[in-house]
Order: sequence, then C-alpha cells, then structure tokens
Amino acid sequence: MAPKTNKSGKGGGKDIRTFFGGSQKSSGSGSAAYLTGCRSSKPINTDSDDEPIGPSKLTGRMVLDGSEDENPRPPQKRKAPLRVDDDESREDSPPRKKASISSTKANVRKSVKPRKDEDYEIEKSSSEEDFIDDEPDDIKTKVKRKSSSSKKEKATKSEPENKKVAPTKAAAKPKSANLHLHRSLITNIFDSWAAIKAAKLAGPSAPGSKQVPDGAPNCLLGLSFVFTGELSSFSREEAVDLAKRFGGRVVLQPSSKTDFVVLGDDAGPAKLAAIKKHGLKTLSEDEFLNLIATREGADEGGLDAKTKKKLEKEQQEIRKAAKEMEKRENSSSHVQLDPSIQLWTTRYAPQSLKEICGNKGQVEKLLQWLNDWPSSLKSGFKKPGKIGMNIFRGVLITGPPGIGKTTSAHLCAKLAGFTPIELNASDTRSKKLVENGMNINNTSLDGFIHGAGSTNSVGVPITGKTCLIMDEVDGMSAGDRGGVGALNAIIKKSKIPIICIANDRGAQKLKPLMSTTFSLNFSRWDSNTHRKLVLTNAPDQGMKVPANVVDQLIQGSQSDIRQVLNMLSTWKLSSDSMDFDESKSLVKMNEKYAIMTPFDITSKILGPYLFSSTARETLGDKMELYFQDHSFVPLFIQENYLKSQPARVRNLDGPEKELKHLQLMEQASASISDGDLVDSLIHGPEQHWGLMPLHAVCSTVRPASCLYGSGVHFGGPNSMSFPQWLGQNSKKNKLARQLADVQVRMRLKVSSDKAEIRQSYVPALFPYIVRPLVDEGAGAVDKVIERMDAYYLSKEDWETIVELGVGENKDVKIASAAKSSFTRKYNGSDHPIPFHKAQDLGKMPKKLTGGPAPDLEEAFIDDIPDDEEEDVKPKESIDDISGDKLIQAPKKRKAVGTTKAKTKTKTKTSKKS
Amino acid sequence: MSLWVDKYRPKNLQELHYHHALSKRLKSLASGDFPHILFYGPSGAGKKTRIACTLREIYGPGAEKLKIDQRIFLSPSRRKLEINLTQSNYHIEITPSEAGNYDRVVIQEILKEIAQTQQVDLNAKQRFKIVVINEADSLSRDAQAALRRTMEKYMSNMRIILCANSTSRLIAPIKSRCLLVRVAAPNADEMAAVLNSVAGRENFQLPEEAARQIVEDSNGNMRKALLVMEALKMQSPNLTGPLTIAKPDWETYCHKVADLIVSEQSPSRIMEVRNKFYELLSHCIPPTVILKTVAERVVERVDESLKADIMHWAAFYETRMRIGNKKIYHLEAWVVKVMSLYKQFFYGFDMSSFD
Repeated sequence: MAPKTNKSGKGGGKDIRTFFGGSQKSSGSGSAAYLTGCRSSKPINTDSDDEPIGPSKLTGRMVLDGSEDENPRPPQKRKAPLRVDDDESREDSPPRKKASISSTKANVRKSVKPRKDEDYEIEKSSSEEDFIDDEPDDIKTKVKRKSSSSKKEKATKSEPENKKVAPTKAAAKPKSANLHLHRSLITNIFDSWAAIKAAKLAGPSAPGSKQVPDGAPNCLLGLSFVFTGELSSFSREEAVDLAKRFGGRVVLQPSSKTDFVVLGDDAGPAKLAAIKKHGLKTLSEDEFLNLIATREGADEGGLDAKTKKKLEKEQQEIRKAAKEMEKRENSSSHVQLDPSIQLWTTRYAPQSLKEICGNKGQVEKLLQWLNDWPSSLKSGFKKPGKIGMNIFRGVLITGPPGIGKTTSAHLCAKLAGFTPIELNASDTRSKKLVENGMNINNTSLDGFIHGAGSTNSVGVPITGKTCLIMDEVDGMSAGDRGGVGALNAIIKKSKIPIICIANDRGAQKLKPLMSTTFSLNFSRWDSNTHRKLVLTNAPDQGMKVPANVVDQLIQGSQSDIRQVLNMLSTWKLSSDSMDFDESKSLVKMNEKYAIMTPFDITSKILGPYLFSSTARETLGDKMELYFQDHSFVPLFIQENYLKSQPARVRNLDGPEKELKHLQLMEQASASISDGDLVDSLIHGPEQHWGLMPLHAVCSTVRPASCLYGSGVHFGGPNSMSFPQWLGQNSKKNKLARQLADVQVRMRLKVSSDKAEIRQSYVPALFPYIVRPLVDEGAGAVDKVIERMDAYYLSKEDWETIVELGVGENKDVKIASAAKSSFTRKYNGSDHPIPFHKAQDLGKMPKKLTGGPAPDLEEAFIDDIPDDEEEDVKPKESIDDISGDKLIQAPKKRKAVGTTKAKTKTKTKTSKKS
Repeated sequence: MSLWVDKYRPKNLQELHYHHALSKRLKSLASGDFPHILFYGPSGAGKKTRIACTLREIYGPGAEKLKIDQRIFLSPSRRKLEINLTQSNYHIEITPSEAGNYDRVVIQEILKEIAQTQQVDLNAKQRFKIVVINEADSLSRDAQAALRRTMEKYMSNMRIILCANSTSRLIAPIKSRCLLVRVAAPNADEMAAVLNSVAGRENFQLPEEAARQIVEDSNGNMRKALLVMEALKMQSPNLTGPLTIAKPDWETYCHKVADLIVSEQSPSRIMEVRNKFYELLSHCIPPTVILKTVAERVVERVDESLKADIMHWAAFYETRMRIGNKKIYHLEAWVVKVMSLYKQFFYGFDMSSFD
C-alpha cells in the first residue's frame, strides 16, 4: 500500500488505517510504522504459494495482511492487490474464483472512494462478500448433493463437488486473514510454519471431499446413532443432519439401545468406554456413508420386525387420537365458530386434562390447587396440603413461549369450575387500575341477568366462582408503574385464586411475587410428545408430514408448539406435504432470535467447535455473537480468553507447545488491544459507530480464533468468570474521587496534582499518620492528629489514605482500641477546615448545556435540593449559628474557631446570589 | 507540623535555589507586561513553586491568601460534577481534568465568568487577573480549542498560566499564544545544595554519601528527594552507615509484578499479573507509571539481547494505552508479549534467521 501521510493532524478517524498494516512502506512517517508494530518492512516471500505473482494476476488476489506482502509494491496508482491469505488450506487450493470476483468488485468500488478509506473498504467489501456469497453456496452444495443421483456418476461428480465447497472455504478464510492485524513478520512466519506443522500432525481433513450417497428415503428409520469425535469431511452438525434426513435417530450418549456409533478422530473416552461396555457396533465415516447408500428404504421392507411393529403401534395411536379429535369437533355444540376459520392453535387446543401433552405433572398440581381452593380459603391458608401449595393464594407459572402456559391455566380454571378473568399485556395494569378497576371480589351480575347456563365471550360458563389469570406479568412495565406491587398486595389478601403467567422466572420485576406465590415451572416438551401431537393433527388437515420433518420443525422452533402449528398452517396454504429440506428452510425463515447470555456466548466463542476446521459458521455468524451484546461480550472474552486449552496446540508437546501457546496468547492479547483502540474511536468524541464490525473482529472473533478450545466452562479450576473490569473500574473511580478530595484539602499546603499526591505524599505520610497507630497504638493518636491538621486532612481523608495503600501498606491492622481512641479524640477536638463542600452549603448545581434528562425509570433523581426553603430565610441567620447545617449543637463545635483555615462560614443565604 | 518539603518551600523568586536565569526573567516579566505563560517540565522540578513565586511577585503577599471554593455543575446526564477552585483575590486556579469529558464546558463557564469581570481591588498592581490551569496536558482537544479564542479576546482582563508536564499533548495554537517556559529538573549538584540547605534549617548535618544516594534515587524529582530525606532521617537519625532507601508501596508492588513475569510464563501467571495490575490501577497509580516501573525492572533482570525488544514493546503499548480506553488490555498485551519473547529466548529459538 502506498505511503500515506500521517501527519495531517486530525488524528481520530484516520488511525484506523494502521490496523491493517496499511502504512508499512511509509518509512517517512515513523509513527505509523511504529503503530503497526512491524519492525521490519522487508518484503519476504514466505508463502510458497503456487500461483505466480504477475501484475496481471495481482488484481485477483486479496491482501488483507499488509505485512505478508510479497512484492515490494510499485508505487503507481494501481489498486492494492487482493490476496486470500490462507496458509492452511493451501494444499487443496482450488482455483480461486471467488476471491477474484470479490476483489474485482472491491476494486471497482475502491476506485471511487477517497484514498484514506481504502483499507477499511477492503475489509468491508470482503466481509460483505462473505455474507452474501456463503449462503447460496451452501445451498448449492446441498442441492448438488441431493441431485447427485447414481453411484456411477460419483467419479465425475466428485470434482465439481470439491470445487463447490472449496471456494466457500476460501471465502471463509479472509476472516481469519483479516484478523492478522499488527502482526510482525516474525510471528507471521512462525505462524505459517507452525500451521503447516500442525496440519501435518493433526491431518485435518479435507472438508467436503466426500460425497453424500443417494440412499433410499427413510433407509435409516428405526436406527439410532451416536456421533463422537471429529469426522474428516463433515462437521458434526452436517453428519447429524444426514442421519436425520434418512430417518435415523441421533442420541447424545451411547446406551445399550444404540444401534451404531459413528467414530471420528479424538473420540471422547467416556463414549469409547460405553461402546466397549455395551458391545456396540461402530462405523467409520465411510462405513456410515456406505450404510446410507446400501441400506434398503423403509418401504422396501428394510426394517426388521421389531421396529416395524413399533412404528405400526405408533401409527395406530395417532390414528386413534385423530379419530377422537374428529369426534369431539363434531359433537362440540358450544363452539359456535366454524373450526375451519379458527387458528390451528385454538382449534387443536386441549379440551380435557387427558389431552394436555407436556408438563402434565405441573398442570395436575395446578388443578389440584384450584380444586382445593374453597377448603383452603376456609382454613385461612393454614393447611399446606400434600405438596405445600395450599398456603398460597397465587400461582406463578413460568416457562418459555409456546408451551401452553395460558392454555393450561384456562383449562384448569374451567375444569375446576372457575370463570377465568384474564388480564394480559393488552390491558393497562397500573397500580391504580389493578387496585380499583378489577373488582375481582364482586360476583358478577352477568349470570344473574342471563340466567343459568350463560357463557362469556369465549364460551366458558359464568359461575359464581372467578379466577384471575394475570397473563404476561413480566410485560408489566413502563405504563404499568407499580402494577406488580399492587398485584402482589392483592394476592396477599385475595379471596379468589390468582394465576400469574410469565416467561422469565429470574426477572427482577417478579421478585416481589416470589414469596407470595407458588412457583410452577413449565419446561419445553420433549420432541416425542410434541411429534405425536403434530402427527395427530396434521392428517386432519390432509397433510402428509413425515416424522423426521416434524422433528426438524420442533427443533428449529425450540419446542414452541404454537409456532410449529402456525408454520404448518401457513405451509398448508401452498402445499400438502413437506420434505426434510423444505422443513429446514421453513425453520430458517421462521427462526427466532435466540438471545444468549454473555456467559453462553463466551463459552460458545471460546469453545472447541466454532473455529474448528469443519465448522460452517461464517465470519458473519461469529460476529453476530458479538452483536448480541456488544458491550459485554468483549469484556467477557478479555476476562476468559486465557482459560482455554487451545485446540491449536493440542497436537504439540513440551516446549514447542508452551511456545506456541504463548504465541497464540500474544496474538490474542494484541488483537484485544487493537479492539480497545477501535473502541475508543467508537466511543470517542467522533463516535464512529460504523467501526463496530471491526471492533467485533478485533475484540472477539480474532482472540477467540487464536485460543479456541476446550476448558472454558462453568466450574472447574479455570471456570468462566464475570469480567473483573467492571468492578475494578468503579473501584478505581471511587478511589480517584476520594483522592481528589484529599488533594484539594491538601492544596493549601501542597502544590502537587493528584497523581503526585498518590505517588509521593501518600507513601510519605503513611509513616506519620497510619504507621504510628499500628506500632504504638493509642499513644500515637495526638501526633497523628497534629500531622493531619497540618495538612487539613479530615477523618475521611485519613481513611482514604489507608485505603489507597497497596502491597505492604494494604490491610494494615490497627488495634481496635487505638482506632476507637483515635476516632474519639479526633471528633472531640477542633480541626482546621480549608473549605466546605459546595453541597454542604446548599449551592445549586449549575446545569451544563445538553439534551434533556433521559427518559428512564431508573434515572429519576429524588434528591432535588430544597432551595425555596433556604431562600426565605431571613438575613439575620448569618449570625445565627443554630441554623447552620455544619454546626451540630450536641458536639459544641465552633465553626469559627481556627483562623488558620479560612473557614468560610458564610452561609448559604449570602452565597445564594 | 508539615513535611519539610512544604515547610521550606521558597516563597518568592529570590529564595529559589536553582534556575536563576529563569527567576530573573520571571521577575522582569512580572513588573512589565505579562504574557500568557506555559510552564512545562517533569514533576518535582518546581513548576508550581515558580508559579506561586511569580504570582507573589506580581501581586504581593495578597496572592498567598488562598481559599478553596467548590462549584457544582450538572452534566446533561444529571451527574453532579464538583469542580474545586483555589483562588486568591488576584488569581484563580482550576484543574479542568476533574470534569472528565465535560472539561470544555466547565472551562468555558469559569473562564468567561472571570474574564467578564474586572479587577475589583483598585490597589492591585496589575489590572488583569490570572487564571492558572493545572494539568493542562490532560485537557481534551475540545477544551483546548475552546481556550484559543478566549485567550485573545479577554487579554485585557485576564492572563492564563498553563502548567503541564509535557507540551506534546497541547495543540499548536495554544503553544503559539503562550510564552513557553521550561522548568527543567535540577541536576545533582543543585539538588544536593537544596538538600543541604533544608538540612541546615533543620539543624543537622547531611553526610555527603547520604546526599548522593538520595539524589540518585530521586531521579531529578526534588519533591521526592526531600520526602526521602525526611523518611531517612526518621529511620536512622544520624544518617550514617549503610542506608536503605525505602521505596514507596506501589513501586515495590510493581517490582513484585516484574519478578512474577520473569519467573514464570504461563496463562495462569498472566492472570495473576492481571490481578496485580488491577490492584495498582484501582489504587490510582497511573498506568504509564506502572508500565514504566515494571518494564524497567524486567529489563534489569533479563538478558542483554532482550532488553531492546522489551523496551520497544513497552513504548509501543504505552502509546496505545494513551489512545485507548481500557488500560489493562494494553498492559496485559505487553506482559504476554514479554513472556513470549522471554520464552523464545529461553528455549533458544532463533527467530533471526526468518527476519
């Protein structure tokens, strides 16, 4: 890259250039070279790349790491050549089609852009390329696999297949290449050298090199598989997917019922032991593929008798259930609505306890509680009952969405003979309304007017008994201020059962409810129950949905039955059947944004899978993890990145391992340091929020790409921890504030600034005002106080000085007798005061220009100084000591005592102007 | 009963022990037209002392009658900012870095307020007031820009004295509006002279050997030298025989960190070092001081061939620390770098053939 002037002073935004090693050649501007951390800009050809570097080819290559630049660049205006820096996948280097396409695109764009943005432009365009190109490519591969039909074609097919997959790899590589910021030549060379070596040792695999056989549909039906270790050409996910596609069942732990274990490299020892114990059949990857190719499909009688029988039975059950459902629909008279216009979720909602599918135990508990309600009301909620539930007047149901919480609550209320009154997030539920508007203790006149047998709008008969269902309690916010508190108050004295429903048990908002309600936790259903339900309902609509497709839907929606039914009913509009791939894409389309906690994100990023050679996540996917919580994730990474057992050094030993490990840590920490520089641009005065993707890479992705591996978990010696930085930073701020107080008090005597006070005076004063109390005890108190008065130090300042000590001055032990005598003596005597704090004088803060106060609940400040009161004070109060806040009567302290200190006993009133 | 360093602080320009030429110049400036002045030099060289003496020279003893006042400002996010002002009738002293990010607004508020009122005391020797801005090198760029025009506009009412450790963080327009006065650290002889004069006023004899050791240890920092001398005197009243100069708590702690780095290089050790760094940082030791102290100690303890590299990287990460927000990241990156270098050296990996 051509030299750029670094001196034009605007600083700020332009520093970013240096992150990409952009100014290597700028021998003129020393500071730039200095920043990039390259001690030598000597061009060296380390990469024995098979492609010649001619000017004609230059445009087709992507240089993302300036320091690895082979050719001294001609100083013409030619655009920076782009090169894919993939030293690891070099062996199987395919024609670099993709790279060239992307780079030409980048070039076109670049040529219009002003020079200074160029480096970032490259970065952006290449990552965009990733976003756009990877996905279609994936799909293409999949399609290819599906369509590659007969075995004859295998030979001819395998090559294009290769081609297809490899570019994905190549496109994926720049990510890691991008990350090679600030890397000196040495590390680079070491790196590539080590990478080759590691490659030889580990023999990582040729991803995508094998072809998926075109087996008969459902050929693995009834078989259960366990995968362990790393396969050579498929990632774990792909292999599992494959097994499921052909109807197989994939379980996590091998048991005696497992049919096959597919073994890869580095299989877990526990699983190997289980294999031995149960005498399970093991398959290699090739054998697994072979099994798919040769085994007969379910339709052709490839199943053994036992499985067949089992399947038959399942089918029968489903048919039976479907029939019942039909019967019920026909007979139900009270449903006035035509079932065909109802949502499926309403239509197939359970009508009796028997039909409830998941969380049966919890639902039964709820029903029991409702049934016991009259008797427990009578006993004044004194008798706990069998499960201790009858002492509560309310129940809090929690669980993820779409598993039937509301449905169960309504059903139970109905079955127990209560009329449910439901309030949900669509109603305002502020304190006032909850208190006054609900009238829940009244009996409704509704039934009286309409006579017996009348029903409310949803068809539930109105009885004398009502039950309040507070749905979406955790949604009580903003407008519903005080709602939860009021609800809690009502629960405490309610005469009707109250069922609260929420998603997140641990929410801060629900804390008050915890003690007053019985907590029922609903969990996600297992996919078996789920599948049965869907399979029961689907034929009713004339749909043909195979079991493995349903599984896919369930898994994709995270066991959200409501979503599965909605997806199916939407799908029904266009087609009556669905196959595996369609279900996959449907799920992808309807994907819910799963929010992970920073802990989960950290263990995922630093875990062994995200960066392994068979992983299929794109750079975008990895960055997405950062964007889930962009303020916390970098902190977590920084806190925990040293705790892994890096996968990259797994195959090394002895000193080599240690060295490589240090090398990796060095890269990671350097990248984190880069990240901080980017962060200061983002949060600096100019707020370059556009740099966030770069921050994601520098602070999160690249450090993790160096040090990913096992070991970062909860528990264990290297357990993941919450970032210390937050606590330490606030501690620092607190002490800095206190130090500022000390400094300003000492200012009349001492000229130094805060840093000098800390570095020179605190250690120097320590032997005079703290040490004597430790060594001599109470006898030294007078000396200490005298010294403190010389510097106008107060008792709080003394404490600050004690607190500021590190090393041997930390945690000094002062005998309690000495300390209490010190406190007594200090409080019992007069001390010079250099000044009064402005707040003590009741001064009004002056507002600095800026926007309005943030509209946050937490941001309300109550301590608005009561100035009106002060203003009306008469003038005489200047001499009236009793009115002075600073003079406390019982201690008989004189405020105007010392002349040495310019105690400003001017009162607030005079200062008020 | 204050410490000697404060007890025997020179009160006027005549009493100053060294940089006599500078004192002379300040004296003549005080009587004539007084420009804006930027005092710069290392800490402990006597900048503030000279400023105080100059003020006294201009306004007489009235400038020594200091009082402290506190202003509260409310930041846009409703956080209260407390700004301390030290003032006499003739001058006012502010430390804008207390306001953090809002230093610009605070500077504008206070400076305008001062500049818009005239000197009230008719007997004052000069018609202008003086504003002393401490820690001028930590002023944000915006605040410095805000200062530019004010300095010219209100010249008739107000003069500014800036006090900084180095001029590199000040923008050129500010520097061009000021008279730059460098207060260099005293040399060994000058320091010894000061020490002897203080010893004389305290009525004891300072042995030459002790004086030499103190001067060597304090590294041109007069304040430190005086504090050390007082501490030594307390330890061994006759100041003879072998003296061990007690290091401040944070310095010994930094040395411990350096020893940790050299004795073992492993992830767990890095985390241990990180905790120690946090301890230092949270106790208000500036990160640059930490890095400098640790680096110097590490360099003492490693092989000759590594020294240059270690210092290079220390300088490298020090720059980044100044640019960045989270100092610990850069400190840690440096530690890992040093460990890696050390380990490579230890195992005799010769990387030079690649270079």
